[in-house]
Amino acid sequence: MKTLQNNKKYIISLIISIAIALLIGAILMAVSGFSPIEGYGAMIDGAIGSPRLLGNTIEKSMELCLLGLATAIGAKGGLFNVGGEGQLFVGALFSTMIGLWLSDLPTFLVIIIAVIVSIVTGGIYALIPALLKTKLNVDEVITTIMLNTVAIKVCTYFVNGPWNSPLKSISQGTDYIDKSIVFSKIIQGSNLSTSFFIGTVVTVFMWFLMKKTTVGLEINVTGENKRFSFFSGLKANKLMVTSMIISGAICGLVGMMLIYGYQGHMTQSASNEYYFDGMLVAMIMNYNPIGIIIMSFFFGFMATGATMMDMQVGISVQLYDVIFSIIIFLMAAQTGIMVWLENRKTQKKAKQLAEEKAKGLVEETAGKEAE
Amino acid sequence: MENKETIIEFKNISMQFPGVLANDNVSFDIKKGEVFALVGENGAGKSTLMNILYGINTPTSGEVIIGGKKVEKYSPSEAISRGIGMVHQHFMLVPSFTVAQNICLSHEPRKSKIFYDLKGAEAATEKLVQEYGLVVDPKAKVESISVGLQQRVEILKTLYRGADVLILDEPTAVLTPQETEELFNVIRRIVKEKDMTVIIITHKLYEVMAISDRVGVMRQGKLVGVNETKDVNEKILASMMVGREVLLDEIERFGEPGETKIEVEDLVVTDNRGIIACNGINLKVREGEILGIAAIEGNGQSELLEAITGMRKPVSGTIFLNNHDTTDMDPGQIRELGLSHIPEDRMTTGVSLQSDITTNLVIGKERTPHFSKWGIALKKSTIHRYAEDLFQRFDMRGAGVDTVVGSLSGGNMQKVVVARELSFDAPILIVAQPTRGVDVGAMEFIHKCIVDKRNDGGAVLLVSADLDEVFRLSDRIITIYEGKVTGEFKAGEISKMDISYYMTGDRSNEEGGTN
Ligand SMILES: Nc1ncnc2c1ncn2[C@@H]1O[C@H](COP(=O)(O)OP(=O)(O)OP(=O)(O)O)[C@@H](O)[C@H]1O
Ligand SMILES: [Mg+2]
Repeated sequence: MKTLQNNKKYIISLIISIAIALLIGAILMAVSGFSPIEGYGAMIDGAIGSPRLLGNTIEKSMELCLLGLATAIGAKGGLFNVGGEGQLFVGALFSTMIGLWLSDLPTFLVIIIAVIVSIVTGGIYALIPALLKTKLNVDEVITTIMLNTVAIKVCTYFVNGPWNSPLKSISQGTDYIDKSIVFSKIIQGSNLSTSFFIGTVVTVFMWFLMKKTTVGLEINVTGENKRFSFFSGLKANKLMVTSMIISGAICGLVGMMLIYGYQGHMTQSASNEYYFDGMLVAMIMNYNPIGIIIMSFFFGFMATGATMMDMQVGISVQLYDVIFSIIIFLMAAQTGIMVWLENRKTQKKAKQLAEEKAKGLVEETAGKEAE
Repeated sequence: MENKETIIEFKNISMQFPGVLANDNVSFDIKKGEVFALVGENGAGKSTLMNILYGINTPTSGEVIIGGKKVEKYSPSEAISRGIGMVHQHFMLVPSFTVAQNICLSHEPRKSKIFYDLKGAEAATEKLVQEYGLVVDPKAKVESISVGLQQRVEILKTLYRGADVLILDEPTAVLTPQETEELFNVIRRIVKEKDMTVIIITHKLYEVMAISDRVGVMRQGKLVGVNETKDVNEKILASMMVGREVLLDEIERFGEPGETKIEVEDLVVTDNRGIIACNGINLKVREGEILGIAAIEGNGQSELLEAITGMRKPVSGTIFLNNHDTTDMDPGQIRELGLSHIPEDRMTTGVSLQSDITTNLVIGKERTPHFSKWGIALKKSTIHRYAEDLFQRFDMRGAGVDTVVGSLSGGNMQKVVVARELSFDAPILIVAQPTRGVDVGAMEFIHKCIVDKRNDGGAVLLVSADLDEVFRLSDRIITIYEGKVTGEFKAGEISKMDISYYMTGDRSNEEGGTN
């Protein structure tokens, strides 16, 4: 919880960062012989130019938002969950298999079970690093990264091995789940399905949890200062584990929504590092839920738009990654930018001083104690 | 005195933080070779002003002139190059580094310009130690030495960087009386022999009288006045600070002690390094009674309190609180039995620096029906009002309850802790260093709160490095030396002079058998 003033400055420096990133993007386009206006035009067109594209944009934004919130809740509890990708895979795999195994049950029941299974498996998979951290103080960043690899490799093995589809036409991945249990489309032909409503519910829930509840407050305090949390009588370890389970559960659920929303079956490429994009959105927005929701739409828009830009104008989709990275880079330097905003006046003076220095009037000193 | 040259000039300094005018048009001079004391209420802007001199803050307006030259760029490296050194209210050492490494940090001696020269650093430290007579072991790890020694390291660090003006921000708040005396000797020596200038901030007015040549008083960001120390006394200073008379007189007490609320039997506790800190401690505190522990820092009193409050698992022995065996309970369970706790170290234990004041005040109560529906949905406006009320009652100075605790002045941070813990309405109160870094006015108020708790039938266990505080508040006093109880006295039964024998173990041989 920052002061109002800080929030304002943060937003200003964010807007500056985005503007700079888009500008650099434009320069890159120009240098590679494209018209930036045409390029960004194609991007906008590609993101909202048709109902189908708009649907894809909204779906992508929802994914980013959920995964961003997953990162945020872990981070608020003091655990940096880098393992969302693995938790997503686990959730996706098991919910797919539920759909295949229980295809005789009534539709709504299968979906409910699949949702629960994805939440539980994703949560359990996040529980492992959480326990390693709280019981044995093993760094969660390292364990979650390793568990990502494990999950993806194991899923790859299962979808191409024991659970591989016998049908020749789909040699990659499992069988398709029955059409009747797939979420129906909100916009035909797009990726946007009724899973959007689940996503909305989860988003609102997360915002409420983080901003309006006792548990959210307690998780927050624990993440800020664990000793203080323990001292205050909170179950610090339990809160940390809880925050991580919630994080994993959301990731698992997103896995389920990918399959039941538009992919239809489990493959080794069910997610293409989607979690990391969500994680970056969360980091850019300082783990603020409202900020994450808004920023997800921006990046969802860019991501979908960039694909079309590639197809229509020929500007590589990688440009999106470049812009994304520049914003991240600038945000990482945001303290610097904030100071810069504050001290533009003193900058001038510093220049004068530098000149004096050159004349040897001021002694050289290392300036490491600026903290 | 008058003919001394001016070394530092503050000219119309103002410093605006979001919502707080921390310095308001402050102007005065510091003269070369003097000890200048700066006093004022919590949040008066003392640290802010010194941070400006040290280049951490850039003033919103006004200028600082050091050695006749105006400061153009405010940065610590600039200040250091002008001979300014500062020891902060909260130390800034690297605990896992050795003394020598800390002292030479960022100005390390190098071999062939690249390799860190540890031997060189140790030699340099040794040389400083010799030169200034500030004895520390250059090879010791900072985390393993006492607070008093850590402070020496901080001072040596500034000397190593060539400081000739030394700023000490509340250096004595964490020191024992003996350590304070040693520090004052050091100050006198460096001023006399090295012609250094010292600016010292403190809330203990007798220290102002003991060490300073001149004293400046601040109130609500403004400079109230600068005086020759010999022209003032503690009373005058106190009323200049607070704007009214401060009467540190007897606090009214009533009621008789009732049943035992805290009972500690044969308690053995180890410290962070696994060395025995409490070696078989027994004590009892009854309702309506304040038991004070008089001990020199590092004799096991901190570990004792941590064990009682559940922050540290004892090795053996038992603890009964409110007639329950709480030896193996965690702080949450213990608090539920009716205990509240003002911890020794507010920064690491007592607050969440990044959270706002509201959160810090309500934590621990957030699940009660008053503050949340079904223990889940926070009643934000009730909580906000509650925080506002405590903020007013404890006279906290800062931008408001929505700001982060980390932006508060040291004393105001302490008020947040005290306000929260005293409002729990718990029958048992464990207090460590309750008024560390708070001003005289606030000290009076906090003391009254603690005695009120006792008068209401609370059992209070108090540890303080400030003997005056122990004597003022306690009904009974025990002394602890090297993890053992060395004496027990009723209030008024013993003098401060005599009790120090028990605190330093001089009598422990005679009394050893009985305890
Ligand atoms: N970084 C900051 N941001 C916002 N407000 C600040 C900041 N630093 C200090 N303040 C405010 O400025 C005022 C003066 O603070 P300062 O630390 O100078 O007080 P002080 O006189 O040193 O008090 P104490 O005796 O309690 O240490 C306080 O109200 C404090 O809340
Ligand atoms: Mg201060």
